[in-house]
Amino acid sequence: MKLSKGEMMTRRKWLASALMGGGLLLSYGALAVQGLLYVLPEQVKSKTRKLFAGQLSDFHEGKVKALFDLQGNQILVKRQADDLKAYSTVCPHLGCRVQWVESDKQFFCPCHRGVFREDGVAIGGPPADAGQRLAEVPLEVDRAAGVVYIEVKDIKRRS
Amino acid sequence: MAHADSAVPKKNRAARFAVLFPFDWDSVQHISAEPVPYHLKKWWFCLGGTPMYLFVVQVVTGIALTFYYVPSPDHAYASVAAITQHVRFGWFIRSLHKWSSNLMIVAVFLHMLRVYFTGAYRHPRQLNWLFGFGLLGTTLAFGFTGYSLVYEQLSYWGATVATNLMEAIPLVGPYVAYFMRGGPEVGEQTLTRFFILHIGVLPTVIVVLLALHIVMVRLHGVAEFTFPGDNITEENRFFRFWPEHATTEILIGVLLMYILTILSLIFPAHLGSQANPTVTPEHIKPEWYFYFNFRLLKLTSLNISVVLTLCIGLIALFWPFVETWLQKKFRLPDKASVIIGVVAFMGFLILTVWESFAN
Ligand code: FES
Repeated sequence: MKLSKGEMMTRRKWLASALMGGGLLLSYGALAVQGLLYVLPEQVKSKTRKLFAGQLSDFHEGKVKALFDLQGNQILVKRQADDLKAYSTVCPHLGCRVQWVESDKQFFCPCHRGVFREDGVAIGGPPADAGQRLAEVPLEVDRAAGVVYIEVKDIKRRS
Repeated sequence: MAHADSAVPKKNRAARFAVLFPFDWDSVQHISAEPVPYHLKKWWFCLGGTPMYLFVVQVVTGIALTFYYVPSPDHAYASVAAITQHVRFGWFIRSLHKWSSNLMIVAVFLHMLRVYFTGAYRHPRQLNWLFGFGLLGTTLAFGFTGYSLVYEQLSYWGATVATNLMEAIPLVGPYVAYFMRGGPEVGEQTLTRFFILHIGVLPTVIVVLLALHIVMVRLHGVAEFTFPGDNITEENRFFRFWPEHATTEILIGVLLMYILTILSLIFPAHLGSQANPTVTPEHIKPEWYFYFNFRLLKLTSLNISVVLTLCIGLIALFWPFVETWLQKKFRLPDKASVIIGVVAFMGFLILTVWESFAN
């Protein structure tokens, strides 16, 4: 097909503007993506570390003992017979701190009145509606030495 | 003198200034001479100007507060305490800022109710309902980020609950929450982000939306209404913006300053105990304008309440279009919107009042 000179020009012009438009779009697009990444800080994998939680004999049958992680957050350890369980105090609903209410033998979350049984299962409030439970914190018992460890998030350190 | 302007006589200052600042003042007069419909003589039609007036108060007091506020978790609380206790008139400015924000939300709600129940959002003004709704959202976002800055217990736990709540929004939630917190959980970054949102991003958004909102009102002209008992003739159908309507607005402004001052004197903004990330206080409640959502959160599981809030919000946002669609589909009469509006508003009111009485 033969094109007249005029038509050639329009086609060439079209190509030029398409390339230019595309280039503009791509570069501003790249800028936008980078801008978005700029405001979303990099996710650093949080490291954990083992913490000495006490002698096994410090944990009494049926009692709840409060420990603290490295950020000062409470972790509640409960002993049932020979079984030790550690619970995070972060409410699975929306992240408030639950408290252990000794008189009711329950955990209570003041934010939306969530109630949790001794074994961490929610029995009242929105966490119960959603079938949630308190997260367990990894716990290790060294029976030979009679000591207990919990695994908690490490605080940020400059390396 | 070979200067081009030498033709202007030296004594004529106005003319000389006009040369330096070549601006067409007549056009300003033309633009501001919007004819105002008769019904605006009724004060409740002037509610739209109220949030704007209060916004100006917010800008002024907000800038004043920024002179002393320090947006870092270590110093924020102490700096607010210093403003409240030591800075000359600090407590007053802080109280004005707080009360003005509360009144602004009330005014936005009232203005919306007025627009809704008079049907002023209908064709061809649907777009302006969207802008207005955007203004409501921005105002609420101002409130939320604002009280997080105080860094008292409620600030911290409010931010925690709210950002976790956002995380539950389908699809975009996790990114929004991550962006707001500046990380996986509320931490050092969060306060700075809320500060920047509160004093930089949101003000920009609200100014743009306000401009669009007002331009739209001007382009469409104010919707006209008549009421039984109105005696409207061709002569009194409109009155002038200046001075008649402007006087009303100025009076409303003076009244607002009066109310703000009284409220700030009798109920100055107080300061709770400092944020403590390890203990949630026994009694925790957000500001009253989030009560309905707070009650909803207590009533059902997280996902249900989030989806419910989202649905209601979206329907309200697109109501002018939803209504048209409903009318086409089910032959809904115009009056149905009144019933829907009353039910929706009642629901909001009941949840709010319920929460304010619950402990
Ligand atoms: S955060 Fe615990 S019940 Fe909502």
